[in-house]
Amino acid sequence: MLEFHQVHKTYTTPQGPLNVLNDVSLRLAAGESLALMGESGSGKSTLLHLAAGLDLPDQGTVSFENQNVASLPEPTRAKLRREQLGLVFQQFHLVPSLTVIDNLRLQARLAKRDNVAWTDHLIERLGLHGMEKRYPEQLSGGQQQRLAIGRALAPRPPLLLADEPTGNLDETTAGEVLELLLSLVRETQCALLIVTHSPQVAAPLDRCLRLSHGHLLEAAL
Amino acid sequence: MTRVLSTLLSHYRRHPGQLIMLLLGLWVASALWSGIQAINATARDSYARADALFDTQLDQLERRDGMPFSRAEYHALRQAGLPVSPMLKGEVVTQDGTRLTLIGIDPLTLSNDNALAQANTSASLSDFLTPPWQTRVAPDALEALGITRENASAATPTLADGKTLPPLVLAPALPPDTLIMDIAAAARLLESGDQLTRIVAAPGALTEAPPGLTLTRATTLASPGQLTESFHLNLTALGLLAWVVGLFIVQAALGLALEQRLGMLRTLRVLGVSGRSLVLALSLELLLLGLIGALAGIASGVWLARLLLPDVAATLGSLYGAGIGQELNLPWHYWVGGLAVSLGGLLLAGSGVLWRAARLNMLKLGQMQAWRSGYRRQLSLMSIGGAFAMGVALALYVWLRFQSPGDGLVTGFTLVAALLLASALWLPPFLALLLKALTHLARRRPLIHWALADMQLQLPRLSLAMMALLIALATNLGVGSMVGGFRLTFLDWLDQRLVAPLYLNAPAEQYADIDAWLADRPEVFERLLTRRSDATLQAATTPEGSRSIGTPIELYGITPGESLTPHWPLLATQQDRSSAWAAFSDGAIFINEQLATAENLSPGDRLTLNAPGANETLTIAAIYPDYGNPSGQVLMASPQLAARFDAPPSSMGLVLSDEADVDTLRATLLERFDLGSDALSDQREIKRIATEIFERTFTITRALNALTLAVAALALLASLLTQARSRRQQLAPLWALGVPRAQLAQLNLAQLSGAALATGLLAIPLGIAITWGLVAIINVAAFGWRLPLYLFPGEMAVTLATAVGVALLAAALPTLRFWRASPRALLAEEANQ
Repeated sequence: MLEFHQVHKTYTTPQGPLNVLNDVSLRLAAGESLALMGESGSGKSTLLHLAAGLDLPDQGTVSFENQNVASLPEPTRAKLRREQLGLVFQQFHLVPSLTVIDNLRLQARLAKRDNVAWTDHLIERLGLHGMEKRYPEQLSGGQQQRLAIGRALAPRPPLLLADEPTGNLDETTAGEVLELLLSLVRETQCALLIVTHSPQVAAPLDRCLRLSHGHLLEAAL
Repeated sequence: MTRVLSTLLSHYRRHPGQLIMLLLGLWVASALWSGIQAINATARDSYARADALFDTQLDQLERRDGMPFSRAEYHALRQAGLPVSPMLKGEVVTQDGTRLTLIGIDPLTLSNDNALAQANTSASLSDFLTPPWQTRVAPDALEALGITRENASAATPTLADGKTLPPLVLAPALPPDTLIMDIAAAARLLESGDQLTRIVAAPGALTEAPPGLTLTRATTLASPGQLTESFHLNLTALGLLAWVVGLFIVQAALGLALEQRLGMLRTLRVLGVSGRSLVLALSLELLLLGLIGALAGIASGVWLARLLLPDVAATLGSLYGAGIGQELNLPWHYWVGGLAVSLGGLLLAGSGVLWRAARLNMLKLGQMQAWRSGYRRQLSLMSIGGAFAMGVALALYVWLRFQSPGDGLVTGFTLVAALLLASALWLPPFLALLLKALTHLARRRPLIHWALADMQLQLPRLSLAMMALLIALATNLGVGSMVGGFRLTFLDWLDQRLVAPLYLNAPAEQYADIDAWLADRPEVFERLLTRRSDATLQAATTPEGSRSIGTPIELYGITPGESLTPHWPLLATQQDRSSAWAAFSDGAIFINEQLATAENLSPGDRLTLNAPGANETLTIAAIYPDYGNPSGQVLMASPQLAARFDAPPSSMGLVLSDEADVDTLRATLLERFDLGSDALSDQREIKRIATEIFERTFTITRALNALTLAVAALALLASLLTQARSRRQQLAPLWALGVPRAQLAQLNLAQLSGAALATGLLAIPLGIAITWGLVAIINVAAFGWRLPLYLFPGEMAVTLATAVGVALLAAALPTLRFWRASPRALLAEEANQ
């Protein structure tokens, strides 16, 4: 489903070129879950951005369903994100001007896959029933991240990309959110790529890789 | 305190755009306000100097036939024991082509309490009276004479005709562009022989006018300051508007700077800085920024005033005959006042910031939840405030309806201001309601739904800029329609009144011969002889009763005939046009709108007109428009005016047949009656000059209008730039969710254009209301005549296009920055949120 082949990525910084990814190759099969671990600044988020077509590699290819993402024009990459991917960020990034229900259905509506029964089911599963008319800032941190997960899964994408989804939450809430995330991933049978520095987050997943100085290594938990 | 202040100011190192916008707002507000005040101060200084001289301080005697006096006539009056003094007035042309007014006086017979007599005390009277005489001149006029101030004393500049002026003596109290000297020296320069322009007397020294002369009391002469009061009030209103719009920018920038520093302020409080110290530090910050902005604004204002002063001088000269200096003359209180107004405005705009800082809750760190309910409260307050302002506007309107027309200049301006304020305050609640309704309707269109919901979120930060835009657009439309309507009316009026292709101005005694000669010319279809004279409107008899008035008026005689009467515009008649003209030919009079407004007269009322040797009571048959004339005028048939008031001919219009050879007629006429080439004026030339004066009159209005709109555009740009960063943070997740950047950029532009379009649509009825206020209230109060209300669909379309254009222009830069930001930068900003 998702494949990185000999990917290189370098950023220009005031201190000189910064080699973030160096000859990175990986494969993620449909329905598989993968944790990508590493220190801060190791390039985890860059890898996730490349996977989502938010950024492009300098060398190598990133393919989704055997399609080279870098060769697609920007509108097509946007369409790919809209229809095939779900994205969950550490900072939630809900749309403050929309209510809970409108946030939840936003991506599904953009992808023209809005299904009322499914979103009603999601609302129940997310524990946000009765809060549909609230605005994001009226929710707690855990509720906001649950809503962000629901938004990503509302169009039932085949691949969910999550960048430190529990990084902004306390330990208890983080556990609850992770449990919900994995449960919904199982329910929707989508593939999952999580970027995290937490072994607790990585542990329940099928596979775990570590990114160190731009190189990808198999990791033992 | 220094540490707290430097910590607060460090915010602007990270956000220099906010600092620039803050200073920009202060600068433009202060520049436009102080520029206009500089013009007003200079004009008032000129009026004060003119007032202090002769024209409005002395009773004046003039010959009834308008001809100059001779010295013999003056001597006869003196020998009859009358305390009169001679005066000679004319123009001299300097080598650079400037025309200066030359006034010759006799200080021995001139009233002692006159400004000139007082100005003379420091100099020897004999030097003034005896050759080589002296020229008293204001420093403003030195440049035209080609003399520097240092070399002015005793200089004898040469005029364009080669004559030299008597040695100069500086007299700062004199009006600009005026030279004063002994009457003998003035007679030599003006080559006036034994002619005198007029004879003056101390106010009240003469009980009545000697036979054959008219006496105009000083008390009935309007000073330039009185005449031009409305013009300066108009300028001040426009300056105030620009100041308010500029302060919108300041308020927007200050509000954002506070919002972004809330965390910093709370940290400072937590670290032990007292609330009082924090408010003091913020006040010091405001003062510091205010001083920089105000000083820059005042300096630019003086520059702007220098730029506009020639046009203002031309306007005042052509409208009111008021001369003002071309050099700025600014008293000390101008500088202090400018600084105080700028700092006061800043304090007004910043008071909300200080209030919020004083009430800062230390425990509510980083809490942003209250904004929605807070803004709802603000919208409610705006609605209530708007309703109150509208109530005031309605109350003023009702009050004005019970006043006689022509009263209530200040009330008229206040009414317009209240209307503007009400509309501005209602705009954000209106936009909020509109957006809410549209958001509800667009539920099935996710991006449009998002854009509308997001616009609701942006509204608190944009509302001030939108209010500024509404005010600027409505004022532009209102003033533009008024000027456009005035232009149409004026051109129409010129066409109606100037029906003859040729106008003759000849010496009065030649008209009879010329008329007789022209009567035999087959190509001359009609001769329209006019006459002029002055009189005093002694009393008016209306259905309410008789009242005495005592106002000087102009008498103007026309020849009613088939060329003139069908076109001559009439505003009100007793019955109908034909009856009015029939009555006119039989001796009834028409009065101009100014006189009707000032004295509350209607057709059917009777006026008693008093002139030496004549005392007539005549019926008003109609009221006619007389645009641009500051005086009351009575119109009667030319033969009637000659018979009743012995008025001399003043001009003659020649209506020619289609096949007439104008050039041949002109040449024959000039040659046969030995007339100067300027004795015959072409109708087109008169219209061209009149139109030129008209266009120049509104130059400053247009300039200020355009500047106000530019300031509103800046306010919008400032609001957008200051929130550009947070906007990108809101747009980045959408882009990550799969909305292409091009679509987001388009949505961004569409959001703002839509809001601006709604604002523009509201500006149209408001602009029409302002036009009405200007033509129906302010114009009548200021000038005495009412203009028809013209609406220009083209102008309205331009208003809408301007609104959208301004919004697109203001949104272009932030959108371009979003468009050009790399995905990584967007995500980095997102992560740093």
